[in-house]
Amino acid sequence: MFSKFSSFYEKARNKEIVAGLSLISIAVLLNLVFGYFAMIFAFYLSFFKWDYIGEMQFVGLKNYAIVVRDLIRGINGASYLLSPFYTGLKNILVYTAIVVPVQTFLAIVLASFANQKIKGQQFFKVSYFLPATTSSVIIALIFIWLFMKNGFINYVLTTVVPGFQPIDWINDKSYLLLAIALVAIWGTSGHFMVSFLAAMQAIPKDIYEAAMLDGAGPIRRFFFITIPMLRPMIVYVVVMGLIGALQMFDLAWVMAGANGGPGGAGYTVALDIYNEAFTRINPGVAAAKSWFLFAIIFTTTYLFQKKYGGAMR
Amino acid sequence: MRKALFGVFLVFVMLFAVAASGCIGGGETTTTTETQVKTETKVETQTQVQEKVFIRFAGWSAGETEMKNYQRMISQFESKYPNIGVKYEVITQMFHENILASFGAGVAPDVFYVDSSWSPMFIDKGALYPVSDLADKAFIDQFYPFLLEPFKKGDKLYGLPKDWSMLALFYNKKLFEQAGLTKPPETWEELEQYAKIIAEKTGKPGLAIYLGGFNRYVPVAVSNGASKPWFEKPEDASWFDNPTVKETLTWYINLYRVGKVEMEKEGKTPYVVQPGDVGAGWLGDAFGQQEVAMVISGNWMIPFLSDQFPDFKYGEDWDIAPLPAGKEGRATMAYTVILGINAKTEHPQETWKFVEYLLGPEGQKELVVKAGQTLPSIKGFENDPDMWPQHKKTLSFMPDYKEVVVFIWGPKSGPLEGKFSDAMAAAMRGEMTPEEAIDIMKQIVQEELSG
Repeated sequence: MFSKFSSFYEKARNKEIVAGLSLISIAVLLNLVFGYFAMIFAFYLSFFKWDYIGEMQFVGLKNYAIVVRDLIRGINGASYLLSPFYTGLKNILVYTAIVVPVQTFLAIVLASFANQKIKGQQFFKVSYFLPATTSSVIIALIFIWLFMKNGFINYVLTTVVPGFQPIDWINDKSYLLLAIALVAIWGTSGHFMVSFLAAMQAIPKDIYEAAMLDGAGPIRRFFFITIPMLRPMIVYVVVMGLIGALQMFDLAWVMAGANGGPGGAGYTVALDIYNEAFTRINPGVAAAKSWFLFAIIFTTTYLFQKKYGGAMR
Repeated sequence: MRKALFGVFLVFVMLFAVAASGCIGGGETTTTTETQVKTETKVETQTQVQEKVFIRFAGWSAGETEMKNYQRMISQFESKYPNIGVKYEVITQMFHENILASFGAGVAPDVFYVDSSWSPMFIDKGALYPVSDLADKAFIDQFYPFLLEPFKKGDKLYGLPKDWSMLALFYNKKLFEQAGLTKPPETWEELEQYAKIIAEKTGKPGLAIYLGGFNRYVPVAVSNGASKPWFEKPEDASWFDNPTVKETLTWYINLYRVGKVEMEKEGKTPYVVQPGDVGAGWLGDAFGQQEVAMVISGNWMIPFLSDQFPDFKYGEDWDIAPLPAGKEGRATMAYTVILGINAKTEHPQETWKFVEYLLGPEGQKELVVKAGQTLPSIKGFENDPDMWPQHKKTLSFMPDYKEVVVFIWGPKSGPLEGKFSDAMAAAMRGEMTPEEAIDIMKQIVQEELSG
């Protein structure tokens, strides 16, 4: 038996196939079960009414109709309590519009600093990356404390900005989402910095040398060499950022609470899907909502990729 | 040779992959190991005729002491019934949601806590085993009858409460003295007045309440003559049209809306706060830290206070009074939790043995009376010397109440309570008027219950 396998395996081609398949098998299996099976089951579930205990009851497109009704209601200006999905969607779009550009920009800036040959750059690299290794729940808890009305952030702002009135970040509905966005930016730009740093170090040095010979200063080099050469990485980071931001759950859960905090200002689509599935016990509606979210994420990233991703090397 | 080694390595990788997929498969693997364990015990102890049965018991935790007490009771039970093993699983957060999800996955525990507000959902879907089929009448008759009402459907009873609590007014005697007050408030109006007086005289808010919290408001409505809320069909939303309900709900919302939000706008000391406003996690914490003079809370607060604030003494520093009266007398809320038996359990008899042991006089004496967590759900402990004096006092208010409402508003109590509280909280923060909040609550009832 073993000799048979061994002779099969002697052939170099087969060897590669066996090695390749066995190395990817675990990842593929996990992905099939927890990724695709869950997705397909959610799609199936979205046509049913269920409460986990009893029988599933086919309701056709009713669950999708509930989501559409929620959206229409929200557009017509109903209270956030009656249009939770719309509220979550509105918040998450504003949040994404703030977080993604800022974190991408910041990550590039941090990476170009970390790429310099300055003393102690290792320390900066580590300290920028540290937030990415910390649990987002812990980060959120620490920031709640920093954002308190008599907390550190207000203290710094009142000392630095003359005439600044302390803001009740967490309990004021006009600032809650901004506070969450700031935490997200703080927590993720370090992570993306590493991606940019790797891409920057892959840029051939001779291009810079040629530019320097032609008399290009550091700022010109940054805008005319670094940024264009980073373009594939920028596309990647923006796409990952978009997906992450549109699915945001943990920060809102801790900083705003499951109900989205004052005025529902910190409510997100992911929170709403969770609430629908587990506090309102409508897994069917929750599945329909997650397919809406999927459609939104898919179209945004697809459009972005199509527009900017084409020039990839 | 090296190639052969690599081949062996590959075989291992594949085996590992197969094993991993087996694990992902879930349930079945576990069952095989379990049967193996069973057969082993059988071989070792020849005298044991019966096969050992394992049951799973899931509860939340009200602190480490309670968990230890349960653990102790379980080992006592196991030594009494050597053929039954109990696996105690503590789910600390989102308890009912977790249990529901485990039903969805087909791995629900054999016996688990069910709060009264969630029980209709479990009962209607046939998730709970009818206890009346397992228990004899004499055992059931030991319980307070009003605690059993919510768990009846048809002629069957689906759950027996493990303990219960009721709302009472906790007040700080020292702060009362400083404010020149000698006795607890008698009516709801007096409660608000006292809160104002205390805030003026001591600089500390008189009363702390939760933002939202529909169940805390219900005794106000019932004591003023409204019927008990019950939402079973969309038309039941009309409960909110009752003028008494509108009036009392507006009063309750305004406690915070005026007592905190507007007071602060005018730069005055707030006389009503929520726990977070004084840096506390919940009402018990706010009261124990002596940041507020009065809170309305249940018996669960009593062991917390004696545990966390040993210098803040019952009788000397704080006392308990019945809830204030409305136009029609006094009313209070009762909260209870049953030990529900999974309808699909493979071992109903063994599970019942365990439930009977925990809920019977012996179990309640250990777990409830001596531990002082809450009130025992079976009668006869009213004058027990082991009963904590604080609990005895709350029990002694029973004749004062014309109505004890159990926390349950119909088949969708849990989800409704959450949504009502969101609307109330929004109005309390001043994001909408009380009328708008009431309209939203009506719409919520209509939507949740229309199919």
